[in-house]
Amino acid sequence: MSVFASSPAASPQEAAAWSPRRQLLTDLRSVRGRAYPRITGLFREKSWVFFEILLPFLATSAFVFVYRALQAPPEYVGFVVLGGAMTAFWLNVIWMMASQLWWEKSQGNLELYFAAPMSFMAILFGMAVGGLVMSSSRALVVLAVATLLYGVSFAVDQWLLLLAVFGLTLAALYGLGMMLASLFLMWGREAFHLTQLFTEPVYFVSGLNFPVARLGLLGALALGTIPLAVGLDAMRQLAFVGAEFPVGTPSPEVEAVILVVMTAVFVLAARWTLNVLERRARQEGRLSVRWQ
Amino acid sequence: MAVGPSGSGTTSPSATTTGDGLASPAWGGFDPARARGRDVRDHWRSFRTAAHLGWLMEANWTDPLLFFIYSVAKPLSAALILVVMVEIVSGGADPAYRAFVVVGTALWSLVLAGIAGLAWSILDDRERYRMLRYVYVSPSDFQVVLLGRGVARLAVGAMGAFITIAVGVVLLGVPFDPLRVDWLLLIVDLALGLWVIVAIGMLLAAICLQTRQESWSYPEALAGALFLVSGVVFPLAVLPSALQAIGMATPLTWWIEGVRHAAFPDMPSSVGGAGSLWSTLTGTAAPDAATIIVALLGTGAVVTLAATGVFRVSERRAKDRGLLDQTTGS
Repeated sequence: MSVFASSPAASPQEAAAWSPRRQLLTDLRSVRGRAYPRITGLFREKSWVFFEILLPFLATSAFVFVYRALQAPPEYVGFVVLGGAMTAFWLNVIWMMASQLWWEKSQGNLELYFAAPMSFMAILFGMAVGGLVMSSSRALVVLAVATLLYGVSFAVDQWLLLLAVFGLTLAALYGLGMMLASLFLMWGREAFHLTQLFTEPVYFVSGLNFPVARLGLLGALALGTIPLAVGLDAMRQLAFVGAEFPVGTPSPEVEAVILVVMTAVFVLAARWTLNVLERRARQEGRLSVRWQ
Repeated sequence: MAVGPSGSGTTSPSATTTGDGLASPAWGGFDPARARGRDVRDHWRSFRTAAHLGWLMEANWTDPLLFFIYSVAKPLSAALILVVMVEIVSGGADPAYRAFVVVGTALWSLVLAGIAGLAWSILDDRERYRMLRYVYVSPSDFQVVLLGRGVARLAVGAMGAFITIAVGVVLLGVPFDPLRVDWLLLIVDLALGLWVIVAIGMLLAAICLQTRQESWSYPEALAGALFLVSGVVFPLAVLPSALQAIGMATPLTWWIEGVRHAAFPDMPSSVGGAGSLWSTLTGTAAPDAATIIVALLGTGAVVTLAATGVFRVSERRAKDRGLLDQTTGS
């Protein structure tokens, strides 16, 4: 029988009929391959240092000066600096995770992804890894420079828990990004407008520059649904121990559990939406049509 | 050198044009005179078409309700972030400052939209729709087309700014008395401000001609940096003197000061005030209307000249290096 004979299969992986080991290696290579341009891009495009590190740092500084104009307690400046650093990750999730598949579709790469014998989750995971490295450099610079320049003093009792919460926040954020990537693709052209909706409004309900507890019910809703809100609140409680700011939010331990649940839910939801998407892609063939 | 048939060196190509619509000239070559055009009517037609296309892309392709929500939610949320910050610290004891930040953030949404409109037109057409090469080689003036595309987003930004100020007046205690508004100053200041915003947008569009797809966030980054030095949400007096000087050299500072001066006369000045560089240098508490307009004109002219120069250099470099049709991705 010819090797080119048609054999119905549910997916390219099934059609390839590779061993589990080979399948795993292919998926790992996909992760590396998708992360590669983002990490390499850090060094190839010099303008990003100016536009993605220096300028956002200045934007963060503006909020520091608002608190200074109001003669706010010094820990509020720390809240702004921490929030400013975390925006790097949020913007990355929205612009380079959630919107990415739609852009891939516009560029003609999406159909290649669907046709290749690899897990689509590997592509999303690779995007997340690359984006994480990219954003971490920006967040780190903003945090370090602003801390030195504005004299932010952190008071940390539980370093391990703080690091764990930070890691969980990133996991939940990028899990959300993986889920949104499929949804944004399904929503088509609305996706671009949705990225707008997911910036300032999310900053507001997440309490980016102020304790989220001040928002009452709205803040509580944000804590239950937006990883940025719950992660920031937990990190503020852990990084500014003893600071006087509105209480009323769960303890960092509870918020860490919320982040674990969010991560699991978002990743599972991403997997489910991807399966739905892939089925539609094969059945309707519309997902490879550009600009819709 | 004229493009013409071999051996017809003395014959002007345009002289041999048949005049039959789009048919080739009699000598069979390309007559550049046909594509020259570029009088005011051509520019207007290009601008109008580009603006219409930009509006269709901005609005018609989106669910109207969603379009309205996203147009308003962004500036309104930006204002609410600052309102909550003010309320947390002052406990509601500083309504004047609350009004100051609401007006500042509302106006800033216009800046953001204006800058993004031009830069995103480049990225949209090059990276997504891959039409930039065709737009560029069309007889339309490239800058006029860009301006047209940017105007659509500017209109969306203006809507957001207007609604944010309206919400501020109705719900957040922003004092507004139409009888006390200096309408002439407001109109002149708004017109000059729009011109400045477009110039800055053109500058960033020139930069985006050189960069890659990830430049989507550049307008926001640039606007964020200018936000610090333009007296948008706090008076310049809280900044170090060097930053105050940079702020006073920025036309957007004078534009926002002009709008506040004209429409909200009781609002504190963002340029002057106790301890400000302005007061130290001039001995006056705050700039008057004439000073604001002169400063806006002067700084705006510098930015416009810079934008024009940078755009020309960028355009030439993009042509030399084939960047106009080079798509990127990561």
